Amino acid sequence: MNILLLSLILCLSIFSLFAKDLLNSIIALSAISILSSLLFALLRAPDVAITEAAVGAGVSTIIYVWAIRHTKRKDLEK
Amino acid sequence: MNKRRIFKIFLTTFIISFTILPIILSNSSWPTLARDYLFMHAFDETGASNTVSSIYLGYRLIDTLGETLVLFVAITGTMSILLNLHKQVLQGVETQSSLPPEKRAKNALRTNLVEVVASKLGPIILLFGLYVMLYGHKSPGGGFQGGVILASAIVFLALSTVVKTKLTNSNVLSRIESISFLSLILVTTYVVFFPNGFFRNIATNNSFASATMIIILNIMIGLKVGTSLAVMIIAMMGGQHDY
Repeated sequence: MNILLLSLILCLSIFSLFAKDLLNSIIALSAISILSSLLFALLRAPDVAITEAAVGAGVSTIIYVWAIRHTKRKDLEK
Repeated sequence: MNKRRIFKIFLTTFIISFTILPIILSNSSWPTLARDYLFMHAFDETGASNTVSSIYLGYRLIDTLGETLVLFVAITGTMSILLNLHKQVLQGVETQSSLPPEKRAKNALRTNLVEVVASKLGPIILLFGLYVMLYGHKSPGGGFQGGVILASAIVFLALSTVVKTKLTNSNVLSRIESISFLSLILVTTYVVFFPNGFFRNIATNNSFASATMIIILNIMIGLKVGTSLAVMIIAMMGGQHDY
């Protein structure tokens, strides 16, 4: 179970690095936080799991989306 | 995707895994002294059955005060940048997303779905945040976690324009934050005058009174963290939000 969650987290982080649209990367990051909070809960650290779910999936996603709304879309490669 | 970037990413991953490899491969056992001591004495000395709470509010109160100060400084810096941004760039531009519908810009990305979900879920999340904050000494949770959940509940209430509450007013929120932070500083520095430890919890050896102390500290920290984060995010979504 832990291996499965960790490999999912690895896949999602690779996706969030290589995604073309930054909004997709943010959603992938939020999914990473939810998966890692599930992992913390399985490893018997419920305090850390609550913190990870509230901060990682809630507040930081809002802040990232706000930052993206206030920047312009630009492509370096064609 | 050019090959140079892929090479950089793989090199970074390799270096990071090479750095943490000795920790994974080491054979030495984990230190058990502090764990055994906390397992034996934490409940009797601080009155909190949640050992994490008993550490950061019982034994290590000054560290918690420093952590709260770090959050305070970060929020202050963000708010000063945001207020300047609103003065310079966004003057007269309707980018607010927390405005009532008639004042909102036409191209704002908002649907009825957001209104309904936010106004229905907001009070429930508020209640859950209060529960996590108040029961930090018994169940997993505590001031910081409950405060962050409170902040997201207040943001939900600010997103929905159906529910009218004073809780999304920035003035009310900053007043709550100031009062709770002042009382937190007073309580943590007041402990100096007691004999059993510098910056430690006052009431040790008496489980009822010390659990009360931990509950009071949790409430203060939770209110401070929640209201300051909510003020910051409401300022990000478009400044003052008052009815």
